[in-house]
Amino acid sequence: MDFSELKTLLLNGDPRFWEHLLALTRQAAAFDELLFLSSLRKKAHARKMSPPVAAPIKTRLALVGGYSLYPLHELLEHFCEIQSTPIELWLGDYDNYISEVMDDDSELYAFKPQVVFMLPAERRCVYTGKLTDPRELVQAEAQRTVDSLLELARKVNEKTGAEITTTNFMLPARHDLGAFRSRTLGSDWAFRQWVNLELGLAAPAYLHICDWAFIANRLGGLAARDERAWFESKQPCSSALLVELAREVAHLILSFKRAPKKVLVLDLDNTLWGGVVADDGLEGIELGDTSPRGEAFKAFQKYIASLKQRGVLLAVCSKNDFAKAAEPFEKHPDMVLKMEDIVSFKANWEPKSENIRAMAPELNLGLDSFVFVDDNPAEIEIVRQFVPAVTTILLGPDPSEYVGQLADSRLFEPRNITAEDAERTSQYRSDAQRKALESSVTDMGAYLESLQMEAGISEFTPVDVPRLSQLINKSNQFNLTTRRRSEAEVTAVMHDPNFIGYSVRLKDRFGDHGLISIVIGEKAGDTMKIDTWLMSCRVLKRGVEEIVLNELVRLAKWKNCQSLLGTYLPTPKNEMVRDFYGKMGFTLTNESEEKKEFELRLKIFQPIPAKIKIVRHAYESS
Amino acid sequence: MNQAEVIAKLQTIFDNLFLEPVVLTPAISAKDVPEWDSLTHISLMVAVEKSFGVRFRVGEVENTKNIGEFADLILKRQLEP
Repeated sequence: MDFSELKTLLLNGDPRFWEHLLALTRQAAAFDELLFLSSLRKKAHARKMSPPVAAPIKTRLALVGGYSLYPLHELLEHFCEIQSTPIELWLGDYDNYISEVMDDDSELYAFKPQVVFMLPAERRCVYTGKLTDPRELVQAEAQRTVDSLLELARKVNEKTGAEITTTNFMLPARHDLGAFRSRTLGSDWAFRQWVNLELGLAAPAYLHICDWAFIANRLGGLAARDERAWFESKQPCSSALLVELAREVAHLILSFKRAPKKVLVLDLDNTLWGGVVADDGLEGIELGDTSPRGEAFKAFQKYIASLKQRGVLLAVCSKNDFAKAAEPFEKHPDMVLKMEDIVSFKANWEPKSENIRAMAPELNLGLDSFVFVDDNPAEIEIVRQFVPAVTTILLGPDPSEYVGQLADSRLFEPRNITAEDAERTSQYRSDAQRKALESSVTDMGAYLESLQMEAGISEFTPVDVPRLSQLINKSNQFNLTTRRRSEAEVTAVMHDPNFIGYSVRLKDRFGDHGLISIVIGEKAGDTMKIDTWLMSCRVLKRGVEEIVLNELVRLAKWKNCQSLLGTYLPTPKNEMVRDFYGKMGFTLTNESEEKKEFELRLKIFQPIPAKIKIVRHAYESS
Repeated sequence: MNQAEVIAKLQTIFDNLFLEPVVLTPAISAKDVPEWDSLTHISLMVAVEKSFGVRFRVGEVENTKNIGEFADLILKRQLEP
């Protein structure tokens, strides 16, 4: 179907016109195409062609602002009708919004709007003084700009009780002041950012912000503006941005009427991890830092975890053997999502549509609050057909785009301000006090304590082998011997009773660092030779070195050794650990160009304290 | 390209945009075509700039009195690098 075919449908009075108009509007991005579609829609109405479904009651929307609101209103009307929230429009005059709002007897109020959309003029959001004026002076001016907008909104609310939305301000895109623009609050760049932030933070519950600065930034600063359109017909922005602005307003209007989604139902294979767990096994799936694809899947899981934190319920729906599907959640070290994060876990061979249908009564939620995500078009299709109330998202072929796809689906955007949020405020406040305390910490011990670090020390395990080998092969700086090992060689070490091998995972209150340190020891008589000791430099000087040594001594004693033998093999990159063993209390026994050897007698060793909680030790079943 | 060729190409743009057929002549202007309202005009300008690969300078389109002058303006802007 193209535009001329659509036109033919209209000329023939064919009722299929409406469904194709809808489809073409969804596809169209260009301004002129959308205006054309909108004009066809109006002509269809003029010809008394009625849409197949009776139109809902129109929302009365008033559009006011410091710009010509034409043809913005046209796009807005079109998008709103297409998404089944039709509007009846009242348009303010060009740059007459202040008197329209302040005048009790204005046509605006006679219209009795249910939604008022305001585009304040950006030319009034400038600092007129000198760039070198003191910050307090500029700030006071910015505050006045914010206050005057809040005052307009307050007035509209008092007069109409309408939902009020105002745009904030686009940022400049020309170089103008150079780097100085961010060194003064007086530049348009800084001034508008300040106003935007203050406006968003100070807006009362009845005032919504249409984040124009964000939309323009998303499109691109230069593409967002069109000076010719301003001079010729007082347009607020480029036609490309006008389309995005109209879409955004339509989205806001829809969000007044439609509750956000509550449940995210996830497929597993090639959605949460790469590969098929039932075929590839726990060790074979792609997840975590060993490959770019694995990282992408892990990042997707992290994003999903952040949705859970916002209050979205997570569910799983997978065509799988239950035990196989559950295994990564229970055993894979790089799974961000855990079994306890999932409110309903369906892994079986029933159609996914039936599984999702069964979740609704289980969770006591309507199917229209469910979103289903899958990489398989066939599964998406079956859900679309058999449970059409569920919103579906078909993931694209590249897992690095999953997060963007889900974020841009706009299905889980939090509402403005709810009573619940207000209740939480006091809780946040005590949180904030606690954090302020932490940020004032100056001594190192207290700082490390505040990180709330936890380490898990584990003997080598089959599932860790790819990660172990990868770190062994790429670690250069904090690496005492720089001995490289393939996955097969790591596996050999794991099975050789003369060797011990363990790794450390670290997390703190800011996040999970993953696997960050590896030690391999070889027992030779009553000596434990330190074959490999390496660590990721990201966690240097946090106490990991100390707990690794404590563990090494513990394991050496367990293996009936009397001493540790540490070797430093210099490379161009590992200078930083030249004296590491000395600092850790070892005694230098042998030194040459090629190597330094150190010894530590276990009898005299005292475990070194560290601010890290050890949640498990190696060779102890956890 | 000459004026007649430009008008012929404009004709196809008009055919796409207008429901009722309009036959373009150099003398015709917006006031002769009921469907040619300000909204259609905006779509038309965007479509013309796109399909001819030109960008008009500020204010010059409204100074053209009819399709003939408009075609000449397109020709003039097409000559620019």
